[in-house]
Amino acid sequence: MLETVQTTSHDDDILANAMKPANFQKAVNNWVPHDIALKDAWFPLAHSFAVEAKPVRRSVYSQPFYLWRENGVAVASEFHPNDSERSSKSIYSDASGRYPVLERYGYVWGWYGNPANADPVHLPSIPYLPEEGNLPQHMLGTVRFDCCAPLSLENLIDLTHADFLHADVVGDEKMDKEVVEVFHDSETITMVRSCTNKSVAPIMKRFGGVKDDVQQVRQVIRIYLRSHAAIAYGRFSPGDNVQLFHPCVPETRDRTRLDYTMNTSNVKKSNPFRYLMPKASYKVSRQDSYMTSPQSPRYMNPEKRKDLHSPLDEAGQKYRVLMQALAERQAHGDFSYRDNVSADCSDIIGYDGK
Amino acid sequence: MAETNTNPQTLWWAVARSEEVTNAKPINVDLGDQPVVLWRDADGVARALEDRCPHRRAPLSLGCVLGNGMIQCGYHGWTYEGETGHLKDIPNLKSTQKFPPLYRAKSYAVAESGGFVRISENPAATQPAVIAAALPLSGTEQVSLTHSEFLNALYDDPALVIAIRGVRFTPYLATELIEANGRLVMERNCQWAGPRWPAPFIPEFPASLLISTEPETGESKLIVRDADFKELLRVILAPVPGSRGVTQVRWRAKLASHRPGIMAKVMGTGAPFEILSAVDGAALRVLRPSVSVHAEALRQGIIDRRTASSQAA
Ligand code: FES
Ligand SMILES: [Fe+2]
Repeated sequence: MLETVQTTSHDDDILANAMKPANFQKAVNNWVPHDIALKDAWFPLAHSFAVEAKPVRRSVYSQPFYLWRENGVAVASEFHPNDSERSSKSIYSDASGRYPVLERYGYVWGWYGNPANADPVHLPSIPYLPEEGNLPQHMLGTVRFDCCAPLSLENLIDLTHADFLHADVVGDEKMDKEVVEVFHDSETITMVRSCTNKSVAPIMKRFGGVKDDVQQVRQVIRIYLRSHAAIAYGRFSPGDNVQLFHPCVPETRDRTRLDYTMNTSNVKKSNPFRYLMPKASYKVSRQDSYMTSPQSPRYMNPEKRKDLHSPLDEAGQKYRVLMQALAERQAHGDFSYRDNVSADCSDIIGYDGK
Repeated sequence: MAETNTNPQTLWWAVARSEEVTNAKPINVDLGDQPVVLWRDADGVARALEDRCPHRRAPLSLGCVLGNGMIQCGYHGWTYEGETGHLKDIPNLKSTQKFPPLYRAKSYAVAESGGFVRISENPAATQPAVIAAALPLSGTEQVSLTHSEFLNALYDDPALVIAIRGVRFTPYLATELIEANGRLVMERNCQWAGPRWPAPFIPEFPASLLISTEPETGESKLIVRDADFKELLRVILAPVPGSRGVTQVRWRAKLASHRPGIMAKVMGTGAPFEILSAVDGAALRVLRPSVSVHAEALRQGIIDRRTASSQAA
C-alpha cells in the first residue's frame, strides 16, 4: 500500500507554473540533465583532511578548482601554483584567480558562480555533522560515478530502487505499509518514507546486532538542488540511526565525485556496525554504477519518447521539475535564493540530536 | 526470406545464432543504431525487445530472465513480457495491478529456424520461410567495417574478411557480380593453399567460391565447389549493421563429409571457415574496388523492381 502526500510551501512564479499538472508532465519528460549547470552555489569539493599544503585538483562543470592550505587556511584557485602557462581567467574567481571558499562540516566548500554573491547563508544545513568536522576518517570516503550528478541524485531520492538493487545491504521490499511524502521549496526537495514492519536490513542483522526480522523505518532524503548535495537520514527501530551526507559534485557535466560522510558516532564503539556501515557505500555505489555508468547518452540529448512512471517516482519527477525551474530562472538572469538553505533543517528531517 | 518484402521495416535480420540466446542471461545485439535485447522465455521461445527500459532508459540486457520467462530490468525491477513488451510487474507495487497498455517496451517479431534467430521491426511482418536443419558449424564475429564495406570487401577480396581452410582466393573471377533470381551472385576462382604457380599461369582452377547475396539484408550464401562441381563447403553468413559502423556477422557452415582429393581433405583440418576479427587496414585502403563498383547500382535495381512489382500487386 502506498500513499503519496504532496506539500508545497512558497510562491515562486516559475516554480508555481512548472508545478501545474500540464507543465509538470512536460518538464518531467524534457529531462536532459546534461544541459543543466546551475550557478551560485557552494560545493563540498573535498574532505578537510584531504586539503594540505600541496594542491589537490577538483572541478565543477570542468571549471578547475585547485585546493590547498596557506598557513592552515584553505584556499581555492583556478590555477595550479606551478602552472606557468595560465590561460585567461574566468569570471568565477577574483583578480588573482581565487574563488570564495569556506570550511564547515569537515569539508572545504568552493563557490561556483558570481564571487560577489558568495555568502555563507547559502551553505546547506546538515544537522548531524559537527560544524567543525573532525570526524574520524573511517567515517569518510570517496566514490566516483561516471554519470551526471542529477542521475545519481534522482537515483538516491527514489528509495524503492534500494529495496531492489541494494536489497542485500538495506533489505528487500517486504513490509506491511509504505507511505512516501514529498516536500519542496525552490532550493530543496525532501522525501520522507515511512515503512511499517520492513524486512531488517541485512547489514544491520549481520553486523548491527539487530535480532528481529522486521523493523520500523523512517528514511529521509533531502537534496540541496544547487549544491547537488543530499542528506540521507534513516531512523530504524530496532537498530541505529543512519546519518549519511551524500554530496554529488558535478566535476563535469556527466561525471560525479561523492566525498561522503557516514557519521556513525551515534553507534556504540563496540558495535561493528559503526565501522562497517561507512564502508557499505563501496558496495552500494557499485550496484548503482552498474545501472547508471557510464553516462547514458539517453540523458545527453532530448529524447522523443516520454519516460514511464510509477506512483513510486513522485519524488524523482519533482526533482526533475525543480531543477529545471531553477535552471529556467537562472537563464532569465535570476540567481537569487528564494529559500534559505542554511536554516537548521532538523525538524524537517526529523533529527532529534540523537 | 524477405524475397518479396521491400519495406525495410519488414525485413528479417539474423541477429543471433540459436545457441547464443538462452534463458540464463539476456544478450544485447544491435539492429543499426537500435540496441536490442534477446532471451528465451519459459517455453524456450526467443524474445526480442528494444534494449531500453521505458522507465529510466536503462539497458534491459543488464537485467535478468525470471523463472516465468519474463525479463526484469536490473535498475528498479520493472518486469516485461517478451512477446508484446507489456509491463507486468513493478516491485513495491501490488503485483495484481494492471498497467495501462501504454506501459510497454518496444517489441520485435522473432522467427527462429536454421540455427538463426531473426527479428523484424514490424511485429506484423510475415514470417520468413523456414530453413530446415541448422548447419553444424557456427560463429559470431564483430567486424569494424560498415555493412556495405564488409560486403564490398567480400566481393573485391574475400581474403580480407574471411578465411577458408586450404583455399586461396584468386583475383580471377569465374562470373562477375550479376543478378540471378533476385539475388546478387558472383563466382571467384580459387586455388589450393601452399606453393603453387601464380593464378595468372593456371590453365584450370581446382575450385571456386560462389557468393549469393540477398540484396536488402546482405545475408549471403557461400559455396566452395571443386572442378567437378562437387560442393565442398556451404556457409550462410549474416551481416547485420551495428553501432559505430561495426557489422555483427553470424555464420553457420557445413563441410561436405566426402571431399575427393588430398587438398579438399585438408579443408577438414582445424576450422574450415572463419570471419577475420581484424581487418588489415593497409591492405583494405589500397584494395581496388572492382566487383563492388557496380554492386550498389545492381542492388538498388533489384530493390526498385521489387518495390514496383509489390506496388503493382
Ligand atoms: S529503469 Fe528499468 S526499472 Fe527503472
Ligand atoms: Fe542506489
